[in-house]
Amino acid sequence: MSEILLCNQSLNSQALQRQCGINTDQLSALSCEAPTMTAANTPYLIGDDPSGIGRGALGQLAPAHVARGLTNLSLSFGGDNVVALAEINAKLKEYNIGLMGASTSVYAHRIGGFAGSVKDYQAALMEYRQAARSGSPLKIAKKQQAHAAFRKMQSQFRNELDVVNSQVRARRGTPLTSAERATNIARSSRNAAKLNVTSQVQANNLVKFSQHAKFLGNGLAVIDFGGRVGSIHNSFQAGGNWERELFIESSSFALGAVAGTAAVNAGGAALGLLVIATPVGWVGLIIGGVAVAGVAAATSIGVNNIVKENSGSWYDSIMKAMGVL
Amino acid sequence: MSLFAQLLAIPAALGFIACILYVLFGQTTVRKLRKNPETKGALGLEYVSGWDIVNVAQALALPKSWSEKLEHGKLSFLYANVSVIHSHTTKIDRFLGALFYWLLMVSGLSLALLALLDALGIFD
Repeated sequence: MSEILLCNQSLNSQALQRQCGINTDQLSALSCEAPTMTAANTPYLIGDDPSGIGRGALGQLAPAHVARGLTNLSLSFGGDNVVALAEINAKLKEYNIGLMGASTSVYAHRIGGFAGSVKDYQAALMEYRQAARSGSPLKIAKKQQAHAAFRKMQSQFRNELDVVNSQVRARRGTPLTSAERATNIARSSRNAAKLNVTSQVQANNLVKFSQHAKFLGNGLAVIDFGGRVGSIHNSFQAGGNWERELFIESSSFALGAVAGTAAVNAGGAALGLLVIATPVGWVGLIIGGVAVAGVAAATSIGVNNIVKENSGSWYDSIMKAMGVL
Repeated sequence: MSLFAQLLAIPAALGFIACILYVLFGQTTVRKLRKNPETKGALGLEYVSGWDIVNVAQALALPKSWSEKLEHGKLSFLYANVSVIHSHTTKIDRFLGALFYWLLMVSGLSLALLALLDALGIFD
């Protein structure tokens, strides 16, 4: 495991020793083996790095826009939590490739709402941090706003939060379990945070997280579409058949949505008829609703996958029929 | 092209037409209903924006006896109100809605069925 140090202002060796108990001898940076002081928004590696993971991670985190975003996030959420949140974010993205195909399905809508409420909470915390750091008289109001955003998030999305928090291993609780802990982290005058990075994959997730954090609320569909455009662009850059890639990505997205919509609609009608025909109560209705949402999600993931596998051959036949190839 | 790819291409093509009809039906019929204060509140629950288009199409496409059953159930707020919508649409609207709805359902559900069969390993 490698430990990475991030500061939001330049610190000399005494200040560093006093604040974090770290000697500058232990530090190394990408550009400099033995720094005498730390610069702001620059990742430093603490201790030895026999495996080379640490240096690899440093390289990934070093670009200025990544390092600055990551420093701010780490100081607002705490180092452990940023690593955990980045992992969760990466998982969410993996799942939503299929889910977002059905950007119309109920479940996807809910996840979108969840992402939105986390983003509101995050924004409220950031504002509180700004106010607390500058000693603004609005400090107390901002703190109340952050607490209100937290309560809203908790009352609406308790299940999702439980899933997310079960993966976080922070001992003192996280900003997602306690608003008090969050505002404490945001207020405290620390200006250095440590991240524990165990692998290259984790470092990569951190980079993506710091870049995507601000887009969280615009619906994960944006991220999904971003991913799809990315794979088309990769094919274009590699001199590949990017039109074919475009056909595959857009048709799997559209057909995933069509199938998800049909599943939700058929499920909704079936649920309505079930309520009339049988004495099923509200509990049954909720279970039924969850089942419909789950089936819709599974449907759009499945359709997205099979269309992705097969639409390439459709493209080839269409082109052949038109005499282009 | 494998047999599975050929089979899959049929609902895919139908789904493509359904997508075009979705926009067409939304821009003509549903737009008109959204602007009319009498029908504005009768378009059913919008899970996401644009879902009312599917709700209206469902109301126009399902057999009357089914729609009436749904209307008297506890979940009637989910669906568009059939009698109100019927009195505010023309024959062309109803035909377009029914065509869109059944194309969407047939293509969507057969895509889902093919995905399921593929997952079960029928085509291996």
